[in-house]
Formats: sequence, C-alpha cells, structure tokens
Amino acid sequence: MIPAADVRIGDRLRTRLGAELTVTRIDPGFMDREGMLAFVEDSDEQWLKMPARLGADVELVRRPGTGT
Amino acid sequence: MALPWDLSGIDGGPLERELLDGKTVLVVNVASRCGLTPQYEGLERLQRRYGGDRFTVLGVPCNQFAGQEPGTPEEIQEFCSATYGTTFPMTGKLEVNGRRRHPLYAWLTATPDADGRAGEVEWNFEKFLVTPAGEVTARFRPPVEPEDQRVTAAIERSLK
Repeated sequence: MIPAADVRIGDRLRTRLGAELTVTRIDPGFMDREGMLAFVEDSDEQWLKMPARLGADVELVRRPGTGT
Repeated sequence: MALPWDLSGIDGGPLERELLDGKTVLVVNVASRCGLTPQYEGLERLQRRYGGDRFTVLGVPCNQFAGQEPGTPEEIQEFCSATYGTTFPMTGKLEVNGRRRHPLYAWLTATPDADGRAGEVEWNFEKFLVTPAGEVTARFRPPVEPEDQRVTAAIERSLK
C-alpha cells in the first residue's frame, strides 16, 4: 500500500474489487469532492478509472523500474 | 430515440428497437457495486411515473469505474430485479469511455453538462436525455439524483 498522493504515472494499482490499472493520467479532482483525485488508465488495453482520497492508501501492484 | 447502431440487451439478444423508437430515453450507465447504486430506486420510480409509449430509462452496465460492475449479465439482471425491482430495459455491458467505447457513447459524450463540460463519462450513473428525434437535450452528472427536479423537468419538456 502507498499513499494516494505518492502514485505516479506508470504505477500499476489494484482496486478494492480486484480490477487493475496502469496509471496513464491523474485527474486532480473527482465529482467536485474536496480532497479526492482519480487515477485513470486510458490505453489500447483498457479505460479504467479509480478514485481515491488524498489521505488514503491505495494498493500498488507494480512500479516501473523497481522490484515492486 | 432511433439509433443508427444495434444494441444488445442484457440477455444477449438484440435489444428490440420498439423499446426505444419514438420515445424519450434517459440513458444511464449503471453498476451494481457502487455507492450510487441505490439510484436504481429513483430510476425505477421514473420508469413507473413516465414509462410507457413515450418514455423509458435505458440502463447500460459498465465495468470501467473501479470495476464496480464485475458480474455476468445474468448476475446483473438478477441483482437489479431482485434488489430494486427494475422493469426498464438494459443493454449488455458496454464501454462508455476510451478507445473502445461504444459509438452510442461517442455520440452522447459530445453533449455538455450544465456547466458546459462535454467529454468522458465521469462515473457510474451519469444520465443523458435523448428525445424521440434523437437530440441529446440534457446531461446530468452522477450525483444528480434521478428524481431531481432538473431531471424531471427535462423529461417533462421532452414529453410535451
């Protein structure tokens, strides 16, 4: 798990329901709710969106260039 | 709402055109495991209040928002009817955003919301109102409840 604020483009994340996405874009807001952001994979493979609270942790599956 | 695209129903067969043709249609992307899933109740009340020959809700299951619609078509159908008693038609699962989005959504998302923002569907339970002539007259973001006065007023304008 890592803080949502530390997620980078290229990180592979897993949602609570088990779907996975490789972040290609980080949206600074989510449905006009304060303190939220959204991670999006917009690729040839899939389009998937995962919102998160800035202070929350998210499940990191893999980070490019690391052993994670 | 006459569409140039064929749509599949939740049962896997073609969605009968008579379910949509000549009607005002509220198109809503839905998901079974979302915090907004209780909006099914309001959608079904809209269907019972306005539904018939001139109006219908059309549910579009979509798994692109945090994977919150993971079930099979049978599971989705069972969930909707058993939990919320839905009677409005549903399509098969569609992609609403991204490179593989269904042409229906390429068309719908060109319409701006009340703040002038067009483009991607933001989350589950975004609503588009389409007239029988095929004009998208309103777009409501997910937090707008189905029975919000803005939604019912737009439906009633279309039905006049």
